[in-house]
Amino acid sequence: MPFKYPLVLFQNRKPDRVATLDEYRESGGYEALEKFIGGGISPKEVIRLVTESGLLGRGGAGFPAGMKWAAVPDSSPFPRYLVANSDEMEPGTFKDRMLLHVDPHCVIEGMALAAYSFSGSKAFFFVRPSYESSAAILERELENARKAGFLGNRILGTDFSFDIVVHRSGGRYICGEASALLNAIMGKRPNPVKPPPYPTEKGLWEKPTVVNNVETLANVPHILRNGPEWFKSLSATEHGAGTKIYGISGRVSRPGAVELPIGTRLSEIIDLHCGGMASGSKFKACLPGGASTRFLTPEHYDIPMDFEDLKKIGNRLGTAAIMVFDQNTCLLGATLNLMEFFARESCGWCTPCREGLPYMRDLLWRIENGEGKEEFIPNLRMLCKQVWNSYCALAPGAAEPVISLLDFFEDEVRQHISEKGCPFHAKADH
Amino acid sequence: MPRLIIDEREIEVPEGTKVIDAAQRLGIVIPRFCYHEALGSVGACRMCAVKFLQGPFKGVQMSCMIDARDGMVVSTTDEEAVLFRKRVIELLMMNHPLDCPVCDEGGQCLLQDETVSGGHGRRRFRGPKRTYRDQYLGPYIKHEMNRCIHCYRCARFYQEFAGYRDLGPLRIGDRMYFGRFSDGSLESPFSGNLVDICPTGVYTDTTARFKLRRWELERSPSLCNQCSLGCNTAANAHHRGVMRVEARFNSEVNGYFLCDAGRFGFSYSNGGTGHRERPLSPRIAGAPASAHAALTAAREALDNIAAKYGPRAIAAAGSHRNSFESQCMLDLICRTRDWRGPVFFWGPEDRRKTLSAVEGLDGEIAVSMREIEKADFVIVVGADPLNEAPMGALALRQAARKNAPVVTIDPRPIFLPCGFEHFPAAPEKIERYLGMLVWKAVEKDAARFGKDAEEFCRYLAAECESCEPPAAMARLSQLLASCSRPAIICGTDVTLQTTPAFAADCVRLLRLAGKQAGLFFLLPGAGSFGSALLSGTDDKTFADLVEDIEAGRVRALVVGESDPFHHYPDRARLESAMSKLELLVAIDYFPSETVRRASFFYPSSTIFETGSTYINQEGRVQFAHPVHCGGVPIRGGEHPPRVYSDLVPGGDHLPAWKALWQIAGTPDKDAGPGGISPEKFIPAALPAFDGLKAGHGYPVDGPRLLTAKAGFQGKWERASADARTGPENPEAFELLMVEWMFGTSEFSAWSDSLDAAAAAPHMSMNSKDAARIGLCDGDTVSVELDGGAFEIVVSVSDRTAEGVLVIPRHHSFEWRKMKDSPARVSAEKIRKI
Amino acid sequence: MLPDELKFKLREMIAGAESPREKAIDVMFAIQELQGWMSDEAMVEAAELLGMTPLELEELATFYDYIYRSPVGRYVIKVCDSTVCWLQGHQRVIDYISSRLSIPMGGTSADGLFTLLPVCCIGYCDRAPAMVVNNRVFGNLTPEKIDRVLTQLAEKADFSGSE
Repeated sequence: MPFKYPLVLFQNRKPDRVATLDEYRESGGYEALEKFIGGGISPKEVIRLVTESGLLGRGGAGFPAGMKWAAVPDSSPFPRYLVANSDEMEPGTFKDRMLLHVDPHCVIEGMALAAYSFSGSKAFFFVRPSYESSAAILERELENARKAGFLGNRILGTDFSFDIVVHRSGGRYICGEASALLNAIMGKRPNPVKPPPYPTEKGLWEKPTVVNNVETLANVPHILRNGPEWFKSLSATEHGAGTKIYGISGRVSRPGAVELPIGTRLSEIIDLHCGGMASGSKFKACLPGGASTRFLTPEHYDIPMDFEDLKKIGNRLGTAAIMVFDQNTCLLGATLNLMEFFARESCGWCTPCREGLPYMRDLLWRIENGEGKEEFIPNLRMLCKQVWNSYCALAPGAAEPVISLLDFFEDEVRQHISEKGCPFHAKADH
Repeated sequence: MPRLIIDEREIEVPEGTKVIDAAQRLGIVIPRFCYHEALGSVGACRMCAVKFLQGPFKGVQMSCMIDARDGMVVSTTDEEAVLFRKRVIELLMMNHPLDCPVCDEGGQCLLQDETVSGGHGRRRFRGPKRTYRDQYLGPYIKHEMNRCIHCYRCARFYQEFAGYRDLGPLRIGDRMYFGRFSDGSLESPFSGNLVDICPTGVYTDTTARFKLRRWELERSPSLCNQCSLGCNTAANAHHRGVMRVEARFNSEVNGYFLCDAGRFGFSYSNGGTGHRERPLSPRIAGAPASAHAALTAAREALDNIAAKYGPRAIAAAGSHRNSFESQCMLDLICRTRDWRGPVFFWGPEDRRKTLSAVEGLDGEIAVSMREIEKADFVIVVGADPLNEAPMGALALRQAARKNAPVVTIDPRPIFLPCGFEHFPAAPEKIERYLGMLVWKAVEKDAARFGKDAEEFCRYLAAECESCEPPAAMARLSQLLASCSRPAIICGTDVTLQTTPAFAADCVRLLRLAGKQAGLFFLLPGAGSFGSALLSGTDDKTFADLVEDIEAGRVRALVVGESDPFHHYPDRARLESAMSKLELLVAIDYFPSETVRRASFFYPSSTIFETGSTYINQEGRVQFAHPVHCGGVPIRGGEHPPRVYSDLVPGGDHLPAWKALWQIAGTPDKDAGPGGISPEKFIPAALPAFDGLKAGHGYPVDGPRLLTAKAGFQGKWERASADARTGPENPEAFELLMVEWMFGTSEFSAWSDSLDAAAAAPHMSMNSKDAARIGLCDGDTVSVELDGGAFEIVVSVSDRTAEGVLVIPRHHSFEWRKMKDSPARVSAEKIRKI
Repeated sequence: MLPDELKFKLREMIAGAESPREKAIDVMFAIQELQGWMSDEAMVEAAELLGMTPLELEELATFYDYIYRSPVGRYVIKVCDSTVCWLQGHQRVIDYISSRLSIPMGGTSADGLFTLLPVCCIGYCDRAPAMVVNNRVFGNLTPEKIDRVLTQLAEKADFSGSE
């Protein structure tokens, strides 16, 4: 494969197995832990370096990681908790699973360092049920890390004690939302809760809690070992920092996860790193960052895939899960499918999401199945606008593909209505 | 204090006020479903959207989620906000059935109102409507989940506010369901509030179902007279029957809510059937008579007794059930005619406890239920709030939700719907534990408490020296020392005579230690405070009357809304005494044993039929307005007798005070039957009422009849305790007769609507005691008292104090077999069967 | 009735948590591993172990996708029906399994071995179409591969590791 960029997170990637603790150490693993925790370097320094590195949260929202840790007030009570969010239920997204299957110790070390930065003593690794294999790998490797003295009581003989437990989810998309996730861990119904108070002040059991994405955490040891400047230099763009794991799926030759400089152009990702479009397929559109981003059209095929540039065109990098659709894909069908997902996964807390998404699903279904009417289009637009004012970000996210479908592919939608059915049905084989 | 502009009107509100409440202060009611002042904001329904034009927030936002801030300009009528709200309604109506015509909520439905006012009229959604299977939720609440709009109010009230754990949100998305794990009666005795807070017809009042529409009802502000709290209600009547009782907001008393006993315990007033049939017709010697004949005959009979034996041969008795009007009238009659009485208390203990509570309370230390909610430490002594004053338990829960420690010191195995620490303590130990708890918290400051407190401090210090405090007490004392608004809730049923005064003094000590300490008594009944105010100095109770009757000093007894047969602990003795009477005149609305035996009976109006004043246990004067005229209700196709008359069938009943006035005869020519009114005779009995006009004349939250400052009571000497704890057999158990929320009160005895909630009686005892005499949980025992035996099931618990047997005064068995009160029973008198 | 051995294990698990409720899902998973699904009786017993009321546990059980409150077969086949699997022909997978086992979506095979359910994105989009069977994931599904998996499962053959 034409990997011409330095690999960071995937440097220990093996074709068919998980990197061991020794392999991780050989590549410099746990050096940062030894230096910062073992060497008693101030937690503030960890925060400073990570903040300076420009590491943005990799879970979708892109919040600066160092700032989140710094948000835990010095005076706040103990114990303080860290949560690694590996719920990863955004359709199209599988990067965290890949990370766990490639180099679990990178995540473990990152968690220890993150916790060190705000004096956290316990972490929950929250994992979805279909990632049972990741959970099993992690549990095995946690034990190895404990044996090696990198976790547990008085790590490396210092005063810092920290351990990680794996928390298995019962499986729901909404659990990926940080506040819902905390409820889930506490054994409450995982409805989101609006701040204030912020989890960094009152999270799990009213104690300060930081929730980080797994990929975010995995970057931490590398930043601390190599410095913020090095991290910034990894980016393909001026404003970005670090590498990014892109998960490409759909109509490309070689779907999978690739680590590339953040801001690598979409065209390069698909053409160079995924072997191009699948045979016979032409790029029609993609969702650039999971199910709750907007369709991206051929016009932006060359866009640098980072937070800033996607924002400029009104889109989002999200989880950098790129779902690629070709000329034979009915995008209305794809949107309907997405809406099925969101409507089913709505937690049911607020009206626009609980009722509005099934409403949209119904309208999309009718259009797809030949019962469409012209007035459905303004109604869909109106609903998209309305669900924007939901309690959490689930429904606004669900509206993104719909509104972009109407923005970029209204003709295709109208064709469904005028032809009383899906124009792709005849030719497509799905 | 932030100033903001809502709909072009400026308002200043306290910090932390939500915009939705700020608007309400201007009289602008922003539509809402999930928001409820008592439950707080959760932002679920999205109905309260308004447009923020200026200030820190912009655009359409939820007014329940945003605190009012300086410089905000808000529009509730902005086109975008109105349209947003209209669409929320459209979304909610996607699945809501159009069954308003057969829905009991129709006409009082928030969803209906807001659908109409929001302008939604056409369902564009073409999908099918969602349907659910309903659950059986018990005798009071009907479940209709198809109507649910998922506002979460029910679950939030039920679990968060009230602290019960058997109703909640299930499933997710548009399949969300609110219900129980399986069909069955709701465990919460506050379940009726679901009817009030549900914005649509998911929870309707089964007892009132399909009987009426809201607009057909006669509605009045009323009160609950089933316990001493005086919760505010809205009574609804139709066709001469009370159909439903709802909670009525009172910021100081019950807030928005009501307990199930108060809500569903009105059926006694509607007639009832069989032995519970409400006596609506006057009777002479058991035979129906006309109103005029009965009143005249009773008056003449009383005149004869007075002529024959002198007026002191006539005695009058009221009860804790009386309205203050009735109590004042009894007082007036006895004063002017030289009758004995009136007595309102059953025995001297009863009387002294209530009196010392009323005397010990003053305007400085008395707290309302609302203030209990704000307390940061609550000590419950000799009180079982859930059973004796249910809404008090709900107030306690609110304090506990704000992390106030709650400590109970009581012989009973107390349950509260919140976290609390229980110290099982026999009555004579309650003061000791309370004393220790308080003394250890204030000890370090005692030197500067001054002369008034000196003696009490010395006493407490000595008490603490004399015995070891229970484990955990020291930690709680520390917490008490560090709190700023502690409250003591003190009961008057199982406590010693000295305990109310002792509790009052403890509160005063806490105040000397710089705390905003408050005191909250629980009294035996709705009329207890009034009884105490009128009780005078002669120290007479019903027990004295029994002796007077036995000795032939009393030949005639007039009872006004009082049933000695329900309360008097020695039934055999009471029967023999009553049979010696030459004349028994009863005025009541219950078909009581006393009424059954009366030579003359006159029906009195219930609280729903006459305006009546009650003074609650914190001294708050409140008025219950009449809601209907009463009479034989028209129900279930039955029609009252078609007698050609201008009178309402069954309409002879009078307010008890009027009936009493008429049978007592006119004392002077000037004041005919119409010449007397509560406005005159209440202030005559109690000058504090000077200038207070009954009914609409009382201030909304009720004035409080309390002395300004009562000072230390100093009645904590152990004399009475010693008298009580010196039995010949120290191994004997003390029998504690107690109230239950359902099953013990007179209202419960005569309201078939409460039967379903009343559990079978059981006797609680400590596990060590049970083991000592070879009893297990669930055993049935025979308890032999001086006056005979009764059988009861035993409930064994570590949480019951040692040395006591706790038995409810349950109407389902005859417990009135006690020669002494309180009675003691030795172990060999308890036999397993 | 839950076996004493399991109860002992669960109590130990719960004792190690910050708060008992934290283990609600783990407890239900452990019971499902043994009994397949959460019967009413199991719910009541599990709730008691967790210091919860049955309703409180039901609030969680009915929230999550991987807790079964009705009987399921020994193997629960959950076919991903989210976007990428949809794009790559998940319907064909469903139709194939459905006809091979003669069960509709949501049904359980007559031998009680298999239950067929849909599931939202399982995070194996790079190997779409994919399915998860009792927490083991199989991707790049073809009729041949499905045959192989189902046969192995039916024979209780070793099928360790995700594909």
